[in-house]
Amino acid sequence: MIRRQRWLGPAMFMPAIVYIVALVGVPFVMAFLYSVSDAKVGSVSYHFVGLQNFVSILHNPAFRRALQNSFVFTITSQVLVLIGANILALSLKEAFPGRRFFRFLILLPWVAPVSIGSLGWKWILDSLYSVISWVLVRFHLVNQYDTPMWLGEPKLAMMSVILVHTWHMLPFATVILLAGLTAIPKDIPEAAAVDGAGFFRTTFQITIPMMLPIINVAVLFGAIFTFTDMTVIYILTRGGPYDTTQVIPTEAFFAGILGSDLAEGAAISIFLVPLLVIAAYFVLRSAHRAEVT
Amino acid sequence: MSKKSGEEITRRKFVKVTGGGIAAAGLTSAFLFPTRALAQQKTLKIVQWSHFVPGYDKWFDNVFTKEWGAKHNTNVIVDHIAIGEINARAAAEVAAQKGHDLFMFLAPPAAYEKQVIDHREIVEHVKAKHGSPIELAVRSTYNPKTKKFFAFSDSFVPDPGNYRQDLWSQVGFPHGPDTWQDLLTGAKRIKDDPKLGNPCGLGLSQELDTNMATRACLWSFGGSEQDQNGNPSLSSKNTVEAVKFFRDLFKQTETAEVFSWDPSSNNRGILAGKLSYVQNAISVTRSAEKDNPEMSKQIQLRPALKGPVRRIASEHVMSCYVVWEFAENKEGAKQFLADLIDDFGNAFKGSEFYNFPCFPKTVPNLKEQLANDPKAVPANKYAVLGDAMNWSTNVGFPGYATAPIDEIFNTFVIPTMFAKAARDEMSPEDAVKAADAEVRRIFAKWK
Repeated sequence: MIRRQRWLGPAMFMPAIVYIVALVGVPFVMAFLYSVSDAKVGSVSYHFVGLQNFVSILHNPAFRRALQNSFVFTITSQVLVLIGANILALSLKEAFPGRRFFRFLILLPWVAPVSIGSLGWKWILDSLYSVISWVLVRFHLVNQYDTPMWLGEPKLAMMSVILVHTWHMLPFATVILLAGLTAIPKDIPEAAAVDGAGFFRTTFQITIPMMLPIINVAVLFGAIFTFTDMTVIYILTRGGPYDTTQVIPTEAFFAGILGSDLAEGAAISIFLVPLLVIAAYFVLRSAHRAEVT
Repeated sequence: MSKKSGEEITRRKFVKVTGGGIAAAGLTSAFLFPTRALAQQKTLKIVQWSHFVPGYDKWFDNVFTKEWGAKHNTNVIVDHIAIGEINARAAAEVAAQKGHDLFMFLAPPAAYEKQVIDHREIVEHVKAKHGSPIELAVRSTYNPKTKKFFAFSDSFVPDPGNYRQDLWSQVGFPHGPDTWQDLLTGAKRIKDDPKLGNPCGLGLSQELDTNMATRACLWSFGGSEQDQNGNPSLSSKNTVEAVKFFRDLFKQTETAEVFSWDPSSNNRGILAGKLSYVQNAISVTRSAEKDNPEMSKQIQLRPALKGPVRRIASEHVMSCYVVWEFAENKEGAKQFLADLIDDFGNAFKGSEFYNFPCFPKTVPNLKEQLANDPKAVPANKYAVLGDAMNWSTNVGFPGYATAPIDEIFNTFVIPTMFAKAARDEMSPEDAVKAADAEVRRIFAKWK
C-alpha cells in the first residue's frame, strides 16, 4: 500500500511535467541555443557565435523601438485593465436583475479566440469601413473626407491596439478580482459601515487593501501575457505604421520566421526573459501570499 | 474394366483453371484489401496558396492534378494555405524535416537553399522543350555563387497601375498616368478638385503591395538595395530623390490611411470608388468584373510608370516551387512541375490571365488572348500587359534574389524608409541613411 502511494503521486504529476518539459522547456532551451548561434531557417548545421546576435539587435533601431513599445503597451494596458476590472468586479458583486447575463457578456471577449476578436476590431477600425468613423460622420463630429485613421496614425494606432488588448484581457482580471471580492468576509465592510465608513472609504481603505495580493496576481499574470503576446498587434497593425506599434514578440516573428533569421528571432524573443523571470517570481510570491490570506 | 475416377486433365484445361483461379484470387484480395491493391500507387503532396482567382484553383485541383494523378498512378493531395501562413509553414516543415513534396512560395525562397534539391534538372528539361525562361524567373530562383537553382518558377504576376478613367479624364489624363510625374500631377488635381477629391492609393504600410510599389519608385529613380554584383547600394542620390518624390506624392495626393493598409486595402478602396489610382495585380479588375460591372468599365490598366531613369515595376507575385531534400516523392514532384509547364496554356486561361508564363513559348498567342478578353470592357483592356515581361523585374534588381534581399523584403525595410520620410519623422536623407545601415546589417549577417 505504502509502495503504491509512493508511485501514485509522481504518476499523477507526470502528465504535467511532460507537458511543461515538452511544450515550454524544450522550446525555451532551443530558443536559447538558437540565440547564440547563426541558425537560419534553412540551416543544416549549428555554429556557436556567442552574444553576436544580441549585439546585432541592439544596433537595430526597429528592435529598440519594439522594446520601448513593449513597455508602453504592457504598462498602459495593465493600468487600464486594473481600473476596469476593479470597477466591473465591484459592480458585478452586487445582486441585480440580469447579473448572470451581464457576467456572461463580460466573459465573452476572453472566451472568444483572440484572433477572431482582433479580426472583428480590424474591421471596426478599418480606414474605409470603420463603424466608429461612420457614427462620427453621421453625428457631424468629423469631416466625411477626413475621418480618423485609427490604425494609420502612430498615436491612434498605439491607442487602438492598447484598447483592443485591454478589451481582451479585462474579463480575466475581472473574474480573478470578483473571486477575491467575494472571499472578503461580509462582516468587515458591515462593521466599517456601522462605524460610518462610506463607499469610497470602504473601497479604498478596506476592500482594495484586502484584495491586494489577488490584484497582484491578476496584474502580473496579465503583464507577462501581454509582454509575450503578438496576436492583437500582428492582426491589427503588423507593427505599423512604420514600426510604431512593433513590440518584442512581433519583431521576433518578423526577424525569425518571415526574415528567415532564426538566431536573431530567438535573441529578440528571449531578450526579456530575465525581466519576465523576475516578474514570475513576484507572481509566485503574490500567489503564495494570496493563499495565506 | 475399371471406371475412370475423373476426367483427364489436359494442359489447356490446367492453364484455364489455374489462371482463372489466380485472377479470381487477385481480384478477391484486391476487393478485401484495397490498400494492398493500391500499394503501388504513389502519393504526391503539394502545398500552395489559395489563389486570388478561384478559377485557377478549380482548374489546378479538379482538372490538372486529377488528370496528372491518373496518368502517373499517383494520388495527388493539394493543400491550400493563406498567403500569410506560407513562411511559417515552410519553417515548420523544415524544422520537422517532413511535410509536402512540393512547396510553393510567393517570393524567392533563397534562405531555404540548403534544404531543397537543385532544380536545374527540371529547368534544363523544360528549357529543351519550351525554350529559355525569362530573365526575371532565373534571377528569382538561381544563386550565381553556388550555381544552384534553389527553386523552379512556373509563373509570375505583373504589377500594373489601375486607374479610374472617369476621374483621370477630367484632369487631362484620359489614358491615365504614364510617368511618376504624371501620377503626382494628375492625382493632385483629382484630390484638389472639390467635385472629386479622391486620394491616390499607393500604400506606405508593412505589406506586400507597398513593398512592390515603393520598389518600383525606387528603381525607376535609379536607386536599388543592391548593385548587380550583390553588394548593398541603397544609400545614393537616386534613392534620396525617390524618397523625396514619394513624400511629395503622399502629402499632395494621399491620406494617412495608406499607413494602415493590408494587401487587400487598396483593392477595396478603388472598388468602393474612393481611390483614383492603385498599383496592383489584375485581381482588382477581375473583382470589379464579377461584383461591380459599372466600376469595372471605369478601372483601366497602365504599364509600369516611367521614372527619371527607367520604366520598371516589380513582379507582384513570383510563383516559386521547391522540392524539399526530405521530400518522399522527389521524382514525382519533378515530373509534376515539368508537366505543369507543358499545360501552361490552360493554367494561363484558368488564372484568367493572372499567372504569366515564365517560359513564354508555352503561351505563344498571349498577346492575342490579352487583347480579346471576353469579360473586359473594352475587350482589349488587358492588352497593356502584353509587354509586361519587358517592364517587370525581380525583387533584388539589378542583382539576384538572395537571402539578405529576402529578409529585407520580409522585414519591410524599404516601405519603412519611405513611410518615415513621408510623415516627416525623418528627413529623406536620414531615412535613407537609417535604411542603408539596416540593409548593411542584414547583408553582414548572411555573409
